[in-house]
Amino acid sequence: MGYGRFVLRRLLQSVPTFALITVLVFLLVRLLPGDPASAMLGDRATDATVARINAALGTDQPIALQFLRFLGRLLQGDFGQSQVLHMPVTELIGERMPVTLLLSAYAMVMAIVIAVPLAFLMALHRGRMLDTVLRGMFQLGLSMPTFYLGLLFLTVLGAHLRLFPVGGLGRGPVDMLYHLFLPALTLGFSLAAVIARSLRAAILEVLEADYVDFARAKGLPERLVLGRHVLRNALISTVTLFGINLGQLIGGAVITETIFSLPGVGRLLIDAVFGRDYPVIEGLTMVFAVLVSFIFIATDLFQAWLDPRVHQ
Amino acid sequence: MARRHLEVFSALLLALIVAGGAGAAPVRGGQMIYARAADSLFLDPVLNDANVDIWVLTNLYDTLLEPSADGRSVTPGLASGYVLSPDGLTMVLTLRPGIKFADGSPVLAGDVKFSLDRARDPKAGQWNFLLAAIDAIDVSAPDTVAIRLKHPDPTLPAALATFNTGILPEQAFMAAPGATLEEKATSFAQHPLGAGPFRLTEWHRNLAMELERNPYYWAKGEDGKALPYLDVLRFEIIPDDATRILKLQGGEVDGAEFIPLARAAELQRDPDLQMQLLPASEVTYLTFMTRPVTKDGKPNPLADPRVRQALNYALDKDAFIHVVNFGNGTPMASFMPSTTPLAVAGAPLYAYDPARAKALLAEAGFDQGIDLSVMLLAGSAKEIAIASVAQQMWGEIGVRVTLEQLDNATATARYRGGDFAARVSTWTNDIADPSEITSYFAYSPNIECQHSGFKDPVIDADFEASQQETDPEKRAALFRDIQVRFAAAAPIAFLFESPYSVALRKPVHGFQQISLGNNIFAATYLGN
Amino acid sequence: MTVAIDSAPPRRSHATLIIGTVILAVMLLVALVPGLVAPYDPLRFDYHGTLAPPSLAHLFGTDMYGRDMLSRTLWATRVDLQIAIFSTLAPVIIGSLIGMLIGYYGGIADVVFNRLVDVVVTFPFLVLVIGIVAVLGPGLINLYIAIGLVDWVFFARLARAEILVQCRLDYAHAARGLGYGPARILFRHLLPNAIGPIITYWMTDMALAILLGSSLGYLGLGAQPPLAEWGTLIADGKNFMATAWWITVFPGLAIVIAGFGFSLAGDGVADLLRARE
Repeated sequence: MGYGRFVLRRLLQSVPTFALITVLVFLLVRLLPGDPASAMLGDRATDATVARINAALGTDQPIALQFLRFLGRLLQGDFGQSQVLHMPVTELIGERMPVTLLLSAYAMVMAIVIAVPLAFLMALHRGRMLDTVLRGMFQLGLSMPTFYLGLLFLTVLGAHLRLFPVGGLGRGPVDMLYHLFLPALTLGFSLAAVIARSLRAAILEVLEADYVDFARAKGLPERLVLGRHVLRNALISTVTLFGINLGQLIGGAVITETIFSLPGVGRLLIDAVFGRDYPVIEGLTMVFAVLVSFIFIATDLFQAWLDPRVHQ
Repeated sequence: MARRHLEVFSALLLALIVAGGAGAAPVRGGQMIYARAADSLFLDPVLNDANVDIWVLTNLYDTLLEPSADGRSVTPGLASGYVLSPDGLTMVLTLRPGIKFADGSPVLAGDVKFSLDRARDPKAGQWNFLLAAIDAIDVSAPDTVAIRLKHPDPTLPAALATFNTGILPEQAFMAAPGATLEEKATSFAQHPLGAGPFRLTEWHRNLAMELERNPYYWAKGEDGKALPYLDVLRFEIIPDDATRILKLQGGEVDGAEFIPLARAAELQRDPDLQMQLLPASEVTYLTFMTRPVTKDGKPNPLADPRVRQALNYALDKDAFIHVVNFGNGTPMASFMPSTTPLAVAGAPLYAYDPARAKALLAEAGFDQGIDLSVMLLAGSAKEIAIASVAQQMWGEIGVRVTLEQLDNATATARYRGGDFAARVSTWTNDIADPSEITSYFAYSPNIECQHSGFKDPVIDADFEASQQETDPEKRAALFRDIQVRFAAAAPIAFLFESPYSVALRKPVHGFQQISLGNNIFAATYLGN
Repeated sequence: MTVAIDSAPPRRSHATLIIGTVILAVMLLVALVPGLVAPYDPLRFDYHGTLAPPSLAHLFGTDMYGRDMLSRTLWATRVDLQIAIFSTLAPVIIGSLIGMLIGYYGGIADVVFNRLVDVVVTFPFLVLVIGIVAVLGPGLINLYIAIGLVDWVFFARLARAEILVQCRLDYAHAARGLGYGPARILFRHLLPNAIGPIITYWMTDMALAILLGSSLGYLGLGAQPPLAEWGTLIADGKNFMATAWWITVFPGLAIVIAGFGFSLAGDGVADLLRARE
């Protein structure tokens, strides 16, 4: 079977995806009403100033020419210069990306920490009071918009009870984890709900499967049965979920970062869309695409490792 | 113009400290964290446009003269004084002895010439019109510059106290990486160097900016030693209003700008805070598109001044102030903020009179009412509030209003193209003179009176005359005429003036935000 | 937006279905005749009664313009249900159709489609919709279009997968062996068997559309004032969370209840379909 060939095939498959994204983003960005110079200069600028800035940025050139230039730069690994922040896009992304990655990873860890034990609890208490209450709670997590959940956490846990800081990054690793707790909880809550629901179902399915009965019949202790058979199989579906939800996790980061004033790429992207900062939008999109593709591949590999049937 | 000479008196700063610090001796040292709603974009005195730059620039770059706290006059800055020739065509400025940039290099007349020539270059930035009267700048001695004018210019002192005439070190600027002047400006603005009270040490875009005390700053504090008192001034960027306030209440920051007026009363009651509502030069209004036809080719009812007057009479300004500003503000008496020099003071314009509004509409032939779309910035609580109240009040006289929330870039593009009917707008002055605001609001050759398409040849002529009129009485008369004519023609709906709202923690003393918006931290300290 | 895979075995399904349906039915009723249940005009200002806490006169209090929050929350039901239905109706029909055809015929269309799915899945849904709304301009109609432009891909993917599975089953081979045309096989034989998961996902998707619509409303890009929509109501009250909690709490509750309704109904339908098998 060979993992190497599998990875290579997946990488080759993602080449046309990247090409498509590049063209789509380039065009979509230029379809946005308003030009970068007007967005930058605001109300007071004279027509002459706007024309001068657009000429300096090259945004007055024909689209085809702009696209060729953009491709030429891209092939050299250069995303260009932010038109609003006056700094290289690569540098900007390098500064902001760690915040979003940390936040997403934190949210994922939090989602797992919340979801996995509760999913087992629900499955083992299936149909009873505890199961119903927990299912209700997770349903709440799925039904609540991220922005509202974030505002609630901020107001109640941050401002009223003063349990957590209300925004910003903090300094040093421990302080940072403390500062990012509420944002990560906000972001991870709906993911936890998704994982818990599907994990509960998966556990129930596995528990009823023949080989588990067989393991029980062999006299394996219940804890071992759960640990070895159930967890392993249930993990497969959880990992699949991660793959599906990752892009959306980054989407959620847009709102979370706005509410909690975090300098991540989510906020950078929204600011860039509103500021018509073409190079930043293009650069970020490409980086997102590469990142998510790699995580898809990693997910597939992990799945294959857990369940060798996947790519046979 | 009479010969005038300003005395060297840094004691003026003492007055500022007393105003802010209530007599207690200032404490030196320490770090102050100030929460800003948005980060600066481009820290270059000349090539910037936004208030996020303008309002902090003077902490880094000092100017020859400085605006006074009330925004109505100027006081000495890097120049200890100036002499104007009897014909009003030459101004000679003398630099303070021994002044230095933040890196210890001296501020020389050559730097002044370099900075002013750059600021008045018609190809650089959009503020050069403020210095359009300058013919040439001569360096007569290392500490003396002579500015020669094409014609007498009454606004020159104000222009020399404006951020765009901040003095930069020529050598350091030219040594900045980049092939062209524009590229050099971009790299220099990343690591700006000036003669202001602070210098920039760290800048993480949209996150934080750290400024350190400039040990060479010229002004002296109350204790006779050099200002500023603070060792470190840190700006943290917190765009969300609620979060900014929460951080202030939690003591994570020492001060915060742009407190929503909805929260002012609540913060006033907080024993740990000082809620400050400072006199500003901020007016809020609705701009009308007054061209004869709309963008899609239909006849434009707003081209008729009676319709615009009717729309003005239909708005209850007190209700606006109550709902939008929670009681903080005053109705406009002119298009100029009342803190502008030569602004006419008087009764509020277009006192609420719905009956008269209906009559005017009928007189203009619109007794069936009109349809009107109001453009506003998406997600801005203040603009939504203004537009919602206007929608409701105009509805009472039969004007059917639809609201259109747009993001900034789209709104700006539509506005510049004259593709709007009415737009929620806010203005703040940048200079201590009526000429800037008048050129944008009422003088059509600049940007067609806020892209409204409004044009009054008498106003245009008055304004051009005012730009060379050195007799203060005559100049005031010209501006009075402009304001009266503009009010009668009503190319905008006059709403209200708002204060700046800043909240500080109790130990903060000596912070200044002048009516032009500039944040001044030179004499700020953290007491007990 | 998050995608859930829930294959809970059919248990107590009727309770779930009944509760979900009742919630949705009540909401639908309110949405049809909000004027009959709302005590006040949702747009009427009262400058003397601004920011009033809940009382007998105003059960949910009033907002900064003195508008009755109960009436606004009830009227918003109409707007949010519209978002749920109108922004997903075209995707569910067109998307499923395209997905079925691609699944049945395969070939080059299948290859292109899979790359398209990669793009849409790769890109944050919210950001894509914000981008489209920025191009089209804000407002409800454009919101439907923006969601629809992205959303059909998810239905197509689902339908394609279902058809692929069904095609392999014996009855499909049998139908083909009998010489039936593709249209008859697709719509008479395959569709009835594939439609269950599509309907279940549609229920979830309507709840997601409400979340998305209110998020955009919160950002100012969805429903335009003075129209009441739950997301914009929360945005209106954002600055008053500490001083006038009632402005945000009731619309927030409404969103949660709507989400509950759709999920329960969706789960119920899924259980019912599974039980039928």
